[in-house]
Amino acid sequence: MTGHRSLDGAHPSASDIAATVRRAGGAMDVVRRHLARIDAGNAAINALREVYAEAALRRAEAVDAQVARGEDPGPLAGVPVAIKDNIASRLGTTACGSRMLAGYASPFDATVVERMEAAGAIIIGRTNCDEFAMGSSTEHCAFGPVRNPHDHDRVPGGSSGGSAAAVAAGFVPVALGSDTGGSIRQPAALCGVVGLKPSYGRVSRYGLVAFGSSLDQIGPFTRTVADAALVLGVIAGEDPRDSTCAQVPVPDCGAAPADPVRGLRLGVPKAYLRPDNHPDVAGSLMRAIDRFQAHGATIVPVDLDLVDAGIATYYVIAPAEASSNLARFDGIRYGHRATVPAGSPLDDLYAATRSEGFGREVQRRIMLGTYVLSAGYYDAFYRRALRVRRRIREEFDRAFVTCDAIIGPTTPTPAFRLGEKNDPVSMYLCDVYTVNTNIAGICGMSVPMGFAREGSARLPIGLHIQCPAFAEDTLLRVGRAWEALHDPAAPAVAGAEAAR
Amino acid sequence: MAAGAEVHCGSTGPLGFPDLPPCDRIMPLMGAAIASTTLKVGLEIHVELATRTKMWTRVPNVAHPDFYDLPPNSAIDPVVAALPGALPVMNREAVELSIMVGLALGCTIAPRSKWDRKNYYYPDLPKGYQISQYDEPLCYDGSLRIPGVAGPKDIGIIRAHLEEDTGKLGHELPGGGRFDGSLVDLNRAGVPLLEIVTQPDFDDAEDVVTFARELRKICRALGVTEGIMQRGHMRFEPNVNVIIETGDGHRYATPVVEVKNLNSFRAVRGAIDHERQRQVDAWRKDGMVMGPGMKSTRGWDDVRGITVLQREKEDAHDYRYFPDPDLVPVEVDADWLDRIRVRIPELPLARAHRYEHDWGLPRKDALALTDEQALCGFFERAVDALVERSNRAINEGAAARALSKLILNAGAKRANERGIGVESLGISEGQLADIVLLRDADRIGSSAADELFGLLCGTDEPAESVAGRAGLLQVRDEGAVEAWVEAAIAAQPQAAQDFASGKDAAIGRLVGAAMKESGGRADATDLRDRFIARLRT
Repeated sequence: MTGHRSLDGAHPSASDIAATVRRAGGAMDVVRRHLARIDAGNAAINALREVYAEAALRRAEAVDAQVARGEDPGPLAGVPVAIKDNIASRLGTTACGSRMLAGYASPFDATVVERMEAAGAIIIGRTNCDEFAMGSSTEHCAFGPVRNPHDHDRVPGGSSGGSAAAVAAGFVPVALGSDTGGSIRQPAALCGVVGLKPSYGRVSRYGLVAFGSSLDQIGPFTRTVADAALVLGVIAGEDPRDSTCAQVPVPDCGAAPADPVRGLRLGVPKAYLRPDNHPDVAGSLMRAIDRFQAHGATIVPVDLDLVDAGIATYYVIAPAEASSNLARFDGIRYGHRATVPAGSPLDDLYAATRSEGFGREVQRRIMLGTYVLSAGYYDAFYRRALRVRRRIREEFDRAFVTCDAIIGPTTPTPAFRLGEKNDPVSMYLCDVYTVNTNIAGICGMSVPMGFAREGSARLPIGLHIQCPAFAEDTLLRVGRAWEALHDPAAPAVAGAEAAR
Repeated sequence: MAAGAEVHCGSTGPLGFPDLPPCDRIMPLMGAAIASTTLKVGLEIHVELATRTKMWTRVPNVAHPDFYDLPPNSAIDPVVAALPGALPVMNREAVELSIMVGLALGCTIAPRSKWDRKNYYYPDLPKGYQISQYDEPLCYDGSLRIPGVAGPKDIGIIRAHLEEDTGKLGHELPGGGRFDGSLVDLNRAGVPLLEIVTQPDFDDAEDVVTFARELRKICRALGVTEGIMQRGHMRFEPNVNVIIETGDGHRYATPVVEVKNLNSFRAVRGAIDHERQRQVDAWRKDGMVMGPGMKSTRGWDDVRGITVLQREKEDAHDYRYFPDPDLVPVEVDADWLDRIRVRIPELPLARAHRYEHDWGLPRKDALALTDEQALCGFFERAVDALVERSNRAINEGAAARALSKLILNAGAKRANERGIGVESLGISEGQLADIVLLRDADRIGSSAADELFGLLCGTDEPAESVAGRAGLLQVRDEGAVEAWVEAAIAAQPQAAQDFASGKDAAIGRLVGAAMKESGGRADATDLRDRFIARLRT
């Protein structure tokens, strides 16, 4: 994992691309190569909804010109990046996987897009996601489901399934996603890539189409932890356009400690060792714990009794915020507008527009959120959920007194088949290990942990690492430690194993 | 029910609106005649704050004088139009202006207040919710003393909270012409809006108007708004009901009516007066009293002078308030509060009180002078100038009394003609002081003083030289004055005879005639003395 590799390798990391381009240019070539991969593979998995070939080549040309002039295009020089469909950019259309916003062109760039481009990154395309980021399978997408590059009959996870799949398929070394309850980490686990959800307030939400404003964070998908650190360093930091973006200094995420494992105190909650974990998930986790311990880490049992309360709490708070956040999609100023007979009451226009524009899952959550906020139910649901939220936060605070990081599985099972989970609650339970990270506002990351066997299929699973709010440096340190301990033969790109 | 008990159930909700248990229809006892009716009014006031930029983003605020007349939908950006991904960022200046008003109204300033979303759908509300403050307002528990019809009266202020204005719907195309559908103009959307809610302390429509005018003066003095009513800078919403006492000692509270969006003092008075009568009439007919869900909303028809029902009852509205997760709470520490306090000038009523009690101005004059902040400054600078130029021979009180007469007579007359303030007429504070000095030294007469005022508007020449050139300075030349006296006696022989024979009143005609002869340059007292000497000895 160390040292400069040449870009001739099939799937160079973002760090390698940037290092090479900064030194010698070649961004055009990098972009062409990735475009060719997308061309060859995207139709099968539908990871990308839009590809900005021309714009990307123009940007690459500009990056190369900068290098030729002796200027430094920045830490992501020439790195092709895909962004999730709910991140606003002037490139193409920002549709949020929804019929409501099909064809909607944003007149402004999200802060993360500005920062990525200012660092030399090249936005190459836009990834499919569950509609308005609501889902765990990327099946609820108005532009068709995304398929898992490891097994096309299976889902990539969600809601940032397109971003995870694009990285796993080798279309891009970096993709941005958003995580409200696990939407980065769960698909990262299911696609076998690294997915990082920063602490709440670490990355500006300006330009992220809001789902659950108090839970949403943008974060990177990469194939290595070092790349995740590189991208985080670029996108993190306060933003005058987002008042919830914290004025907390961004640690240097780039430096790798010499001996990352020794002295680490890793918390393992009993609540994460559920009997319904897939046997290979349970086995891999045990082996991971052993390996950490063997290399000098201390394993600390911690109590997270409220793990099971997470999903219930989440499905009050997130839909409540969503019901209000999505009120702006009313057909008046932009987006889909239903045709109603002339002279119809205004409410008919709203109802028809929103019934046609939103898919079933989004409608379900808007109804749920409207209900929990309504007079007479607010105290029983919303206020109570906020109380539980505080207790979950306190529980993590207590746990982090005795440990530096908490580890566990990212998901109980590997990727499931398309259409397999057709009742909403079983879908919601995919996020059982990840929602509390968002509820508590702390940071979390999924790193590849190995594979689980499902019949003849060999499917990726993830190790979930959680650290206190704004302790991304520790998070990345543990991630790197794991990478170093983990079987280096495990391929980060789907299908690369066969090619070896 | 005990005699004298008020049929008015329950407590007050977080917004000060009645939140009552069921008891919405109690028929008055047969034959019980109305012994008295008492009006009960609480007032909600919306003030658009004249910050340079809007509440949540840095686009021009159309409530600021520099941006009053922007073309429709030009003061917008992704935040105002609620584009996907846009986020609000609080305007600190709007918070400061709100706190200034809160302090002026004697409110407690919350060390921590938060923002809530009020959710409802309407095309003038781009986000589908209005950002407001629900249960933790920025300012609360204040009061304002007003000169009420029955003496000084303290009006309690329940709260003053900050929110955002909505856009506007119209049916007229820009430049005229009717449009078949509705047109949305978002220029006003996101304008900082301060909502002030009083206790239902008013029992007279006149007091409500006095309060409203006083509040406007305060807001203008604070520089919070120019308070142009026609532009909707201030909008009033009285909550009106009547307490009816019957001959048998029972009391009945009629259902509360909120009259929406009044933007003139005349409308405030008219709507309240009309409601008082209408509610008593309605009670006689149906006996309905205040109870849960009984509050209705009415509008004011300015042409017909009546209120018109808009919304029957407060039933279907559930705004699903919840804390806005896009914004952080407002923390006001002592330091910030101190910095805001020093921005607050002396307020109009306090100033009027000082003019009246320290300087001996008539109350009416004191109030007239304090109507406008700019005029107060002009007046007080003129007082300083006069005291100084008289080498302190004239004290502040005397200076103020003389100058206020000059300003409110010679000045106000000219200012009204031109539709501007006295301070903008082009006469300086020093020139004003000099007019008083000339008059005080009997060097000009009173009509000359008025004329000199007019001549000094638009010139910076010294008052004395202008007066001299215009022949306004009084003449002390013995010969000339005697000649005018003789000419007057010749012109008014009957008056001279009457005066000589003891009819004192006749001297007026003689002085007038002599003054006319002099072209206004004579001193009336001097002339009077001379006629007495000439005709009575």
